[in-house]
Amino acid sequence: MIKIGIMSFAHMHANSYAACLKSLPDASLAAIWDDNPKRGKAMARTFGAPFIADQGTFLRGDMDGVIITSENVKHRAMVEAAAAAGKWILCEKPLAPGVQDAKAIVAACKKARVGLGTAFPCRYALPLMEAKAQLDSGAFGAVYAVACTNHGQAPGGWFADEALSGGGATMDHTVHVADLLRWMLGKEFTSVYCELGNQLHRKTLKTDDLGSLNLEMEGGIQVSHLASWSRPKTFPTWGDVTLEIICEGGVINVDAFNQKLTCFDDNAKRVGWVPWGDNPDLGLIQDFVNAVRDRRDPAVTGVDGLCATEVTEAAYKAFRTGKVVKL
Amino acid sequence: MNVAILGCGGMGRLHAQMAVNCGQKVSVCADTVRPAAIRLAKEFGARAVNDPESAIMAKDVDIVVITTPTTTHEVLVTTAAAAGKHIFCEKPFARTSAQCKRAIAAARKGGVNLFVGHVVRYFQEFEALRAQVQGGIIGEPGWAKLYRGGIYPGAPGSWFRDYDQSGGVTLDCMIHDLDWLRYVFGEPERIYCQALMRTAPTQMDYSQVTMRMKSGLIATVIGTWAHPSGFKVKVEICGESGMLQFDSTDAPFRAEARQTAAGPTMIVPSNPVSVSPYQLEWQDFIDWIEGKSLPRVTARDALRAVEMAEAALKSVAKRQPVTL
Ligand SMILES: NC(=O)c1ccc[n+]([C@@H]2O[C@H](COP(=O)([O-])OP(=O)(O)OC[C@H]3O[C@@H](n4cnc5c(N)ncnc54)[C@H](O)[C@@H]3O)[C@@H](O)[C@H]2O)c1
Repeated sequence: MIKIGIMSFAHMHANSYAACLKSLPDASLAAIWDDNPKRGKAMARTFGAPFIADQGTFLRGDMDGVIITSENVKHRAMVEAAAAAGKWILCEKPLAPGVQDAKAIVAACKKARVGLGTAFPCRYALPLMEAKAQLDSGAFGAVYAVACTNHGQAPGGWFADEALSGGGATMDHTVHVADLLRWMLGKEFTSVYCELGNQLHRKTLKTDDLGSLNLEMEGGIQVSHLASWSRPKTFPTWGDVTLEIICEGGVINVDAFNQKLTCFDDNAKRVGWVPWGDNPDLGLIQDFVNAVRDRRDPAVTGVDGLCATEVTEAAYKAFRTGKVVKL
Repeated sequence: MNVAILGCGGMGRLHAQMAVNCGQKVSVCADTVRPAAIRLAKEFGARAVNDPESAIMAKDVDIVVITTPTTTHEVLVTTAAAAGKHIFCEKPFARTSAQCKRAIAAARKGGVNLFVGHVVRYFQEFEALRAQVQGGIIGEPGWAKLYRGGIYPGAPGSWFRDYDQSGGVTLDCMIHDLDWLRYVFGEPERIYCQALMRTAPTQMDYSQVTMRMKSGLIATVIGTWAHPSGFKVKVEICGESGMLQFDSTDAPFRAEARQTAAGPTMIVPSNPVSVSPYQLEWQDFIDWIEGKSLPRVTARDALRAVEMAEAALKSVAKRQPVTL
C-alpha cells in the first residue's frame, strides 16, 4: 500500500486527487495538511483521513509521497520542505508562477533524490492520447500548425489574486496545452507572442482574463493558443481543451472533454453538460503511485512543468514588451 | 442598367444572377478564356468578348462587374472609372493598398460609384451578431474570435495557388473577417500573424492572427485553406456579461444523398435565406447609384481591409507584430 499525503486544498483539483487515491486499491490517503486549518479539517472529514496541523509533524509522518495543491506561489516552499523530508512529490500545475521558482523546485528534488511530477492530467485524457497515437503512427505525416484553446469560467478567489497565483487566465490556462504539444510533437517551443486582456471581468478581477498567444515550435510549427476565463456563468460546463492540428496528411480535431450529455435542469434553471467517460485524473494519480513504488520520476516530470512555465513567463514578457520573445 | 461581367468564373456567374435579380440586364460577358465568356453569355442572353477593355467601353454598359483575379482589379477599375462606368469590384479590392489608393483616386476623378463586395457585412448571421453586440446583451465586448475556411480553392494551376496573385488565405479569405471586425469594433491598433503559405508536397495555407483594436478589444482570427474538404465559419464574441456563438456547421438544413452507381455520396448543408447576402449587397450598390442611400461598405473600408491583410502578411515576413 502506497501512502500519500495531500498538502493544501487551496486548488480544487485536490478534491479529485483525494477521491482518486481513495478509489485506487494500491494507494491510500494517509494524511492531510493545510495552512488553512479550517479547510484542512473539513477535507479530512470529507475524505476520512487525519488532519495534521503542523507541517513538520505531517512531513515526518508515515507517508511515501505528497501531492501539493496549494496556491501557485506557495508550491516552491512546500516542495522544498517535502523534498527535504524525502517524500516523492506530485505538484499541481503550474509548477511555479515563474521560471526561477520552477528551476529551484526541480533542483531541490534532484538534490534530495526524490521523484517530482507535474500534474498535467490531460496527458491521460483518452481523446488526446488518441491524437498522439495517430500522430505517432505517421498516418497524418508532418505537423505544420496547431490552433489550441483552454477556456474556463472565472475561478475567482486566489486564482485572481496575483500575489498568490502569479497571474490570471494566461497563467492558469497555458501550461496544459504547452505540455500537451511538447509531448505530442516531441518538440520544444522556440518563440512566443501574446496579447493579454482583462476586459471580460474588469469589474471583479485585477489579473488578465484572456490571452491570445502565437507560438512557434522547433521545425517552424506555427501554434496559436487561447487561454481564457471567458466562459460565462451560464455556460453549460467549466470550459474546454481543444486542438486543431494541421498535418500534411489531413486535419485532426480534438475536443478533449466533449464526452458529455446535455441536461436541461428546470430546478436549477440551467442547461448543463454532464461528463461521461474516463477520468484523466485517475491515470495521473495511478502513475504517481506507481512512480513512488518504483522509486522513479512520474511520467510527467518536474522538468516538463518547468518547460511549460517557461512558455507562460515568455507570454507575459511578450505582452509587456510588445515583441516576440525567443525561448 | 446594363451590366458587363469581367471574369466569368465562379463569382462572375453569381454576380450576373444577382444583377438580374435586382432588375438589371447583363449585356456583355468578358473573359480572357473565350469558352468561359461564351458559356456565361449564353446563360444570360449577353454577348461574349475576350477583351475586358472592349466590354468596359461598350456603349450598352453602365455597370462593370470585376470578378477577375485580384491582381487585375486595379487596371480594370481605373479603366472603367476613366470610361465613366459604375463599378462593382469583388473583394479583395486589390493585391496591394497602393493599388487600392490609385483605384479610389481614379473613381473619384471619373465621378463613378465604386463598390467593393465585402459581402460578409450583408450576411444575415453576421448582422444578427452585430445587432446583439450593439444591443448590449453581452455587455462591453472584449474578445472576438473568428474562423473561416476549408479546402484550398481553385484547381491546380489556378491563380489562387500563386501566393503572389492571391495573397493566400490571409488576403483572399480572412479579409472578410478583418473587414467585419473593423466594421463592428472600430480601427485596429496592431496585428500579429503566422501563415503557412505552403506549396509542396500539398498546397495549403493556414493563417493565425492576434489583433488588438484601438478600443482594447482583442481579436483572434483563423483562416484555413488547409482542410481536405468543406468550408465553415465560426464566430465567438465574449463580453462582460455573456457570449455569442455562431457555427455554420450547426446548419438548419442538411441532406445526405445515398451513394449510388451513378455517383458518390453527397452531403449538402445549407443556411437558406429568402434574399441572399449577395443580392443584398447588389441592392445596396444599385440604391447608391440611384441616389437613394449610401452603401454599407465604402471603397475606403475596402482599402483599410487590404491594409490590415497587408500588415498581417508583413508580420508573417518580419515575425513581429505590425502597428497599423
Ligand atoms: N465574396 C466572395 O465570397 C468571394 C468568393 C470567391 C472569390 N471572390 C473574389 O472574386 C474574384 C474572382 O474569384 P473567382 O472565384 O470567381 O475566380 P475564378 O478563377 O473562378 O474566375 C476568374 C475568371 O477571370 C478570368 N480572367 C482572368 N484574368 C482576366 C482578365 N484580365 N480579364 C477578364 N477575365 C479574366 C479567368 O479566366 C476566370 O474565368 C477574386 O478577387 C476573388 O478573391 C470573392
